[in-house]
Amino acid sequence: MNHPESCIQCGTCATVCPVEMVGGHAIVSFLADPDTTDYSVWLCTSCWRCQEACPAGVDIYGLMMEQRRAVNQQAPAGYQAAFESILACGAALEVPQEELNQVRAAWGLEPVKLPPPGLARSLLRSDE
Amino acid sequence: MGFELAFYPGCLVLQRMPEYEAATRAVLRGLGIELEIVQQATCCGSPVAESFTADWVYLAAYNLALVEQMGHGTVVTVCGGCTNTLTRAARALQDPACSHRAEANRRLAPVGLSVTGQVEVKHLVRLLAEREEQLRAQIVRPLSLRVALTNPCQVFRPSDVMGFDDPAEPQSLRRLVELTGAQVVEYGGEDECCGATLYLADPSLALAAGRRKLEATQGADLLLHGCGNCQLLLRRFQRLIIRDEPDLRKQALLLPQLIGLAMGLPEEELGLREGIWR
Repeated sequence: MNHPESCIQCGTCATVCPVEMVGGHAIVSFLADPDTTDYSVWLCTSCWRCQEACPAGVDIYGLMMEQRRAVNQQAPAGYQAAFESILACGAALEVPQEELNQVRAAWGLEPVKLPPPGLARSLLRSDE
Repeated sequence: MGFELAFYPGCLVLQRMPEYEAATRAVLRGLGIELEIVQQATCCGSPVAESFTADWVYLAAYNLALVEQMGHGTVVTVCGGCTNTLTRAARALQDPACSHRAEANRRLAPVGLSVTGQVEVKHLVRLLAEREEQLRAQIVRPLSLRVALTNPCQVFRPSDVMGFDDPAEPQSLRRLVELTGAQVVEYGGEDECCGATLYLADPSLALAAGRRKLEATQGADLLLHGCGNCQLLLRRFQRLIIRDEPDLRKQALLLPQLIGLAMGLPEEELGLREGIWR
């Protein structure tokens, strides 16, 4: 990945990152030190703190998402499974229609209709 | 006088947290607001779909189109992620310089929908913060509890899109908690993400983030959340976090559960079937 030109390597992003706080290395490790290879673009909680704190206005979130989509990035199993579920049933977790409405009824909640299968796949054009 | 708003619970709350929806409905009903759930909604699109394709915006556009078809101008959300994603998508769809809207409508045409992006996406914290005085009048059972809160990150950031409260140190959730009579315990991590999303990539790091929060909040009676993800990690996964240290165990409530208690609503209606101390 190319280091963004506007980044001044001040490291502010790394000081506010919740991943760094527990010993993980997210994309902010790379921004603070372009020489490091010890980071993962998948280790981000999407809290937007780094982006809000960045004095140079770097679109860190956009950069991170772009890197995730890069073909050479292997997605962790959790992300992969959630994405496949979205493509199949429209939701990150699959719950059968009937079971869902039984649970809802037990909580006094009105029935809900799930989206048609394959709809998300066609909206995302993953069927082409 | 009562009125109705659209409600988008999102995957997590719809499929795993009926108590969050039940408590939200109970509290809003007390304020004269009914929620009409968005039928046939899909995942909002982020962060999962967004991590794989730039087309995630069309998944969000579909959900916004459903709200528009219902005839509602506002959709209420209860998770930070959905709030953020749908708001960013609405912004993109409204941008005349961007081709997203034309493409979204091309993809939505086969299912008989169209989208303008003219939908206000409003998280429960914001909806309630706008009705502070009305809510104050409903507090009939002030709570004497010490509460450690976690601000739902994505409701406030990025500030140029979300446009609500102070993005670095939001105050609205704290004010709502104080409205119930509860005391907000400061622990320095109020604005730190819970870490739930990490679970998809690295479960041990996610649990470490949860543990960091539990250790920092020992002076509080309970944790208070305004997002399903925080509740997922810090309540549902709490037993995984503290497996070797049961003393760290802590009750965790969702915002409408706490407010509902102070409004004197029955615990059963708030999804607290086993009582507040489970």
